Amino acid sequence: MTELIVRLARIGPVILVLALAAAWQLPAVGGLRLAAPDAAEAERLTETLDALPDEPLVLVGFDADLGTYAEVRPTVRALLADLLARDARLAFVSLTPEGRALGSAELARLARNEANPTRLLDLGFAAGAEAGLVDLTRDLPLADAADGAFSRRVQEEGIAAFDVLAVVGGNDLGPRSWIEQVAPRIGEEIPIVAVTPTVLLPEVQPYVGGGGLAASLSTPRDGAAYRETVELGNLSRLLDSGDPRPFPLLIGMLVAVAALSQALGARVIGALRAARAREAG
Amino acid sequence: MKRPTFTALVVVVGLLLLADLLVVNSALGEVAGVVIDAAILVAAGVALAGVGSLGARRVADLWRRRGDPVGAILVLAGMGAVLVAGLRPGSAGVADPAVQWLVVALLVPIGATLFGLLFVSTLAAARRSVASRSREGTLLVTAALVTTILLVPLSGASGSWLAAAAGWSLAVPIGAVLRGLLIGVALLTAVYAARALLGMGAADD
Repeated sequence: MTELIVRLARIGPVILVLALAAAWQLPAVGGLRLAAPDAAEAERLTETLDALPDEPLVLVGFDADLGTYAEVRPTVRALLADLLARDARLAFVSLTPEGRALGSAELARLARNEANPTRLLDLGFAAGAEAGLVDLTRDLPLADAADGAFSRRVQEEGIAAFDVLAVVGGNDLGPRSWIEQVAPRIGEEIPIVAVTPTVLLPEVQPYVGGGGLAASLSTPRDGAAYRETVELGNLSRLLDSGDPRPFPLLIGMLVAVAALSQALGARVIGALRAARAREAG
Repeated sequence: MKRPTFTALVVVVGLLLLADLLVVNSALGEVAGVVIDAAILVAAGVALAGVGSLGARRVADLWRRRGDPVGAILVLAGMGAVLVAGLRPGSAGVADPAVQWLVVALLVPIGATLFGLLFVSTLAAARRSVASRSREGTLLVTAALVTTILLVPLSGASGSWLAAAAGWSLAVPIGAVLRGLLIGVALLTAVYAARALLGMGAADD
C-alpha cells in the first residue's frame, strides 16, 4: 500500500496534468457552475457603477501580477468592456513595471479590438511605489503628446476629475495601498472598486466589510458571477475569448481533497494504532 | 551606533507629511511635495540599482564560473531581449509590439505556469506538514480541506448551500482572523514607526 502511494506521488503531477488537459477538452458538464450562487459582490460592483454619472471618468490603477493575471484576466476585460459600454472614459496608470507591461498590453488589445480611442488615456508608469501613489493625488503623469477633451480635463482637474477608481491588483501596490495612500487625500467622494486574485483576498476582504472598498471581485466565482450580468452589446468583442470552465477546476479540487484526505487519514490511523499499542503495552 | 541626523530627518519628514495630510496649507503642501519627489527619485534609483545589481551579479557568476550558469544566461538573455526591444532606435518603448509580444506570449504564460506549480508544491508541503505530526500543521490542513470542499463549484441547492457556508466562513471566522492580522500589522507598524521617530533601537530594549 505504502509503495503504491509512493509511486502515485511520483507520477501524480503527470497524471494531474493529463487529467486537466482531458477535462479542458470535454464539453460542459451538467451540475457544475463556476459563478457564485450568491452574486452579492457582483451586484455591489454593478450598483457602484450604476450610481456613476453619465460618461464617467475612470482612473484604472493597473498593477496586476504576471503570475496571477491569468486568474483575473477574464474579469478585468469584462470590467473594462462594461465601463466602455457605459460610455466611460478610462485613464490607465501603473506603479509597478509588471503592471505597466500588462496594462500596456491591455491598452493595445483594446485598440486592436477597435475600442473608441478618444475614451482611452495612457498615463503610463508612475515611479516611486507608495510615494508615487501619493504623488498621483497631486499631479497625474500626462504625456506631452496627450490631446483631446479627456486629457485636457485630467490635466486641469487632476485626480479630482475622476468619478471612480478601479484598481486591478495582484502586485505589491494593490487596493490596500490605494485605500491607505490615495483615499485619505481625495476624500470619500470617489469610490474605489477592485479586481484582485484570490491570493489578495486576506488583505482586501476586511476593506470590503469596512467600506474602504465600494466593491471588490476577489475570487474566480465572484468574477464569473459578474461576467454573467454584464450587458455589452457589440462591445462583447472586448471580452476574453475563452471563459474558464468549472470541470478542470473541479478535477483540481478533487485531487487536492483526495491528497489532503489521504494525509489526514493516515495521520488519524497512525494515532489510533499508537493509542491501541499503548493500551496493549 | 545611533545616527541623530538620520533620526532627526525621519522625525521632520514624518511630521511634515502628517501635517500636510491634516492641514490644508499651500506652502506646507509644496514642501511636502518636494519631500515626496525626493522619495520618488530614491525609489526609482533603488529600482534601477536593483536591476543593475541583478545583471552584474549574473555576469560575475558567469565570469567566475559559480552558481547556475544556465540560469544566469537565461536571466541576462531575458533582460537583454527586453532592453533591445524597448530601447532600440525607433522603438515605442513599453508600447512597442516586440515588448508586448515578450510580455503577452512569454512572460505572462511563464509567470502563470510558475504560479500554477504552486498547486503541486503546496499539496506536497501540506502532506509533509501532516506527516511531521505537527498539531498546528494538521489543524491548518484540516481547515484547508474543509474550505476546499466548501468551494467546489456545484450548481443547484447543494451548490448554494456550500457557497453559503463558504461565505459564512469567510465573513465570520476567517474574516475575524484577517481583521485581527491587519490590526496587528497596523499596531506593529505604528510601534516600529514610533521607535524610529524616537531613535530607539535594539540596544534600548
